[in-house]
Amino acid sequence: MSQSRAAVNPCAMCMPLGSVLVFRGIEGCMPLFHGSQGCSTYMRLYLAHHFREPVDIASSALSEKAAVYGGAANLKTGLKNVIRGYGPRAVGVSTTCLAETIGDDVERTIREFLQEEPDGRDIPIIPVSTPSYAHSHEEGYSAALLATVRALAQPSKQSCKLNLLVGSIVSPSDVRNLKRLLRDMSAEFILLPDISQTFDLPLTGDLPRVPAGGTPLEEIRDSANSRASITVGACARLPGAGEYLEEEFGVPHHALPLPIGLQFTDMLMARLEEVVGLPLPESYEQDRGRLLDAIVDAHKLLAHVKTAVYGDSEMVLGILKFMVELGMSPRVVATGTRSRAFATLAGEMAPQAAVLDAVDFSDIGREISARDVELMVGPFTGRQIAAAQNIPLLRVGFPNHDRFGASRQLLLGYQGAAGLVDAMANALLEHRERIPVKQQAPAPSPPGR
Amino acid sequence: MIVNIFEGREGHIQQKGESPLPLACSNESLAGAVSQRACVYSGARVVLNPLTDALHLVHGPIGCASYTWDIRGSCTSGPRLYRSSFSTDMKELDVIFGGEKRLLGAIRELEERYRPPAIFVYSTCIVGVIGDDLQAVCKAASEELGVPVLPVQSEGFRGNKNEGYKAACNALFQLIGSKDYAPRSPYTINLLGEYNVAGDLWRVKPYFEEMGIEVLASLTGDGRVEDIRRAHLARLNLVQCSGSMTYLARKLEERYGTPHRRISFFGLQDMASALRTTAEFFAVPEMTARTEEIIQRELWRVEPQIDMIRQRVEGRRAAIYMGGAAKAVSLVRAFRELGVEVVIIGTQTGDRDDYRKIGIMVREGTVIIDDANPLELRELLQKQKADLLVAGVKERFLAYKLRIAFCDFNHDRTTEFEGFDGMVNFAREVDATINSPVWKLPLKRESPLTGREEMICGGEDVSEPCCG
Repeated sequence: MSQSRAAVNPCAMCMPLGSVLVFRGIEGCMPLFHGSQGCSTYMRLYLAHHFREPVDIASSALSEKAAVYGGAANLKTGLKNVIRGYGPRAVGVSTTCLAETIGDDVERTIREFLQEEPDGRDIPIIPVSTPSYAHSHEEGYSAALLATVRALAQPSKQSCKLNLLVGSIVSPSDVRNLKRLLRDMSAEFILLPDISQTFDLPLTGDLPRVPAGGTPLEEIRDSANSRASITVGACARLPGAGEYLEEEFGVPHHALPLPIGLQFTDMLMARLEEVVGLPLPESYEQDRGRLLDAIVDAHKLLAHVKTAVYGDSEMVLGILKFMVELGMSPRVVATGTRSRAFATLAGEMAPQAAVLDAVDFSDIGREISARDVELMVGPFTGRQIAAAQNIPLLRVGFPNHDRFGASRQLLLGYQGAAGLVDAMANALLEHRERIPVKQQAPAPSPPGR
Repeated sequence: MIVNIFEGREGHIQQKGESPLPLACSNESLAGAVSQRACVYSGARVVLNPLTDALHLVHGPIGCASYTWDIRGSCTSGPRLYRSSFSTDMKELDVIFGGEKRLLGAIRELEERYRPPAIFVYSTCIVGVIGDDLQAVCKAASEELGVPVLPVQSEGFRGNKNEGYKAACNALFQLIGSKDYAPRSPYTINLLGEYNVAGDLWRVKPYFEEMGIEVLASLTGDGRVEDIRRAHLARLNLVQCSGSMTYLARKLEERYGTPHRRISFFGLQDMASALRTTAEFFAVPEMTARTEEIIQRELWRVEPQIDMIRQRVEGRRAAIYMGGAAKAVSLVRAFRELGVEVVIIGTQTGDRDDYRKIGIMVREGTVIIDDANPLELRELLQKQKADLLVAGVKERFLAYKLRIAFCDFNHDRTTEFEGFDGMVNFAREVDATINSPVWKLPLKRESPLTGREEMICGGEDVSEPCCG
C-alpha cells in the first residue's frame, strides 16, 4: 500500500469508465454520464485509444448553474436528446464525482423523466452510482453489472440456460472465444456483458448510431430464470451480479477466477461440464495438449525469470497463477485497485513476491528496481518504467494505447495461455538480441589461439 | 438545414450561401448530444502540460490525472518531469472534510522528491463544489517551500476549454516577470501557443535564429520555467494558437507594453508570412533581406515536393474539425496550396469572429459547424462526400468506419506539420491516406454461389453441405 499522499502516475482509472464497458456490452444500450462534459470526452478518448473504435458516451453536460441548483434538468434534457438522437434500446446512466458531490438524486430524476416523457417509457434506464473518489474502474465495472441485472432481471419461466457473467474487463476477442466455448459445449447460455462486437465492429462502410451486438435485453431479463450462473473474474472482488441472482431468484452461483493459464482454465471447464452435464469437446482437449506442449517447449527459457505483473486485479491474479505454473519467479504483483482479497490470494500464490494493492506506478517502479525484474507483463502504462530500467514489457490487458490489436488480444482459455507463453518467451528473446554484443559475456577465443 | 438531429442545434450548423445569420456559438454544450468538447480542466492542462520541467499536480480524484497522463504529444529536448501525472487522489473523506490538508501534504512531498522549478496545481470539479481554497494553499506552500506554486482554477464544469485556457494563462502570467536576464540579441521574441507537438517547434525556431532573433520563451512547447519567468523581456509576442493564448498576449501588452502579432507556422504561405511579419516588426534592413533569402531558399527547396503531391490529391474534398479556430483557418489555406477543396469546417470553441472569418474564406456550399457531435459529423461527411477528415483521435475511427481517409492534427500525430518541412510532411500524410489502396478493397467477398441458388446443396437449407 502506498505511504504517499500524492499519486504519481496512476495504475487505475475512475469508476464511470468501468461502467461503460458493461453498458456497451448490452444490445442497443447507450451510456450517459451525469456530470461535466469533460468526463465523457476524456473517457471516450481513453477507450477509443484502446479499442480503436468510435466510442460515443453522452453527457448531461453540467454547468456552473447546475452545480449550484442541481442537475436534474440537464439529466432530463440529456436523456431526451440521447433517445431522440441515438434511438437506443436502453440507456445506462453513470454518475460522476460532480453529480455525487452536489447530491443529485438520479433515481428520482429518472422516475420523473419517465412520467414526463412518454417516448422514454419502453426504454429501460439503468442508473449506477459511480463516484470517482470512491473506487477504481474495476468497482465501477462490477457496480454497473450489478445495477444492470438488478434493473432488468425478472423471474418468469424456469429455463435451462447458463448465465456466464464476465466479471472483469477482457478483450472482445476473449468474449468471442468464451461464446464459442459455450456453443461448443452445446450450452444454452446468456453471456453478459457481451462486448465482442460492440467494441470490435467489422468494417462494413456503414456506422450504426448504436453499435450492433451486445447482450439482448430479453436475455438479461431472463437471467433470473437460469439454472446456474458462473462469474469468471470473481476471485478478488466483492459480491455482485451473480450473488444477487442467487439471493433474489435462487440461481446457483459459481465464482471463478478468469480462465488464464492451465489450471484456472481447467477450473472453468470442470465447472461447465458439471453444470451442463456434457464432456468438454475433444478439440479443447487437443488445445490443452498443445498448451502443455508450448509450456514444455519454453520452460527452460522461462525458468526462474523474475517477473512483475500489474494491472486489473483479476487479470493479474490469472497471469500470476500461470507464471507460477511455468516455473517463473514473480517478484512484483500489483494492482491499482484497493483489495485485501487480492493481496491475500497473490501472497499465497507467490510468497516471495512484493504484493501491492492500491498503488501507483511510482511504487511499482520502485519495487521493480529493487527486485531485479527481468520481464514486465501488464498494460502499456508501465512503459516509462520499462524504458527507464531497460526491462522488456509485454503489453497485456487494458489499457493499451500505443500498440495495435488490443481488441484482438486473446488471453483466456487454453489458446490464450499458449499465446501468452510464446509472447513472454519471445519478449525475453527479442530483448536479449537487442543488447549490443559488447555488453554480453565475452565470446570464446577464436580457434587457434 | 443540411442536418437536423437535435433540437437546439439549428443555429450551430450552416451551409455557406444558405443563410445570412451569424453562426451560433455558446459556452454550454447541449446535454445528451455527445459534444466533442472537453472541460475547463482539459483546456488548462493542454496549455500548461508541455512545460517540460514543471510539476503538474491535479487536485481531485484519480481519473482526471489518469486520462491526461502523457497524452499531449509535446516533445522535450531535456527534462521529462511533465510526462508524469501527479494527483492528490481525493477520496470520500476528503470530499466530506475538505482536501486542503491532503493538497498541502502532497505539494510538500512532491517538492521534496522532485525539486521542480515550479508546481502547477489544477483544481477539478469537486474541488470547486467542496470549496477548498486553492489560492490560499498554494500561497502558503509557495512561501514555505520557496518555489512558485501556482493555482490553476480549472473546475471542470465552470465553462468549456476556453475558460481553462484563461486559467492557464493566469497561472503563466504570475510566473512571468519574476526573473531578470540580459538577452544575447537586441531582437527578442516569445512564441505563444506553440506546443511542440511531434517536435513542431524545432522546425520553426531555427529560422528565427537565422534571422538574428533570440526566442526568449516558448509557451509552452518544450518550455522551461526559467524561460517563462523572463518572458516579459521580449520585444514581441508571436501568437500562434490564438484561442488559447491571445488572452495572455493581451495581459502582457497591458502590463509590459509588449505588442503581439497573430501568426501561424502551418502551411507554406502562413509560415512565410510569419517570418515576414516578425521582420517587419523589427524593421532592420539586414534582417528583412535575410528573411527574404530564407523564404526563397526554403520555398525553392520544398515547393517541387509539394507540387508532386498536389498532383496526386488535387480536387479531393476535405473536412476539418478542430478544437480551436486558428488551426482550422490555417488548414483552409494549406489545403488551397494542395488544391484540396474544404467542404466541412468546424471547431469546438470558435467564437463569433472566428466563424465570420471562416465564412469569408470558404467557398459556397461549405458547411460550417460549431461544437459538432458524432451524429452530425457522420451525416455531414456523407452528405458532403468528404474524402478526408482532419481532426483528433475521437473522430478518427468515425471516419475510418465510413471508409473516409483521416489525418490527425492533434496530440497523436508523430510527424511535425509546422514550418516548410512540416507542410511537406502534412502533404505526404494526406496523400498516404487519401490515395491508399485500402479504401478500394472489396467490402463484400465475391462468392461463386451468389445468385446461383441451384448450386447450394439441399435447396433452401443452406446449413447442409454437399456430400456427393
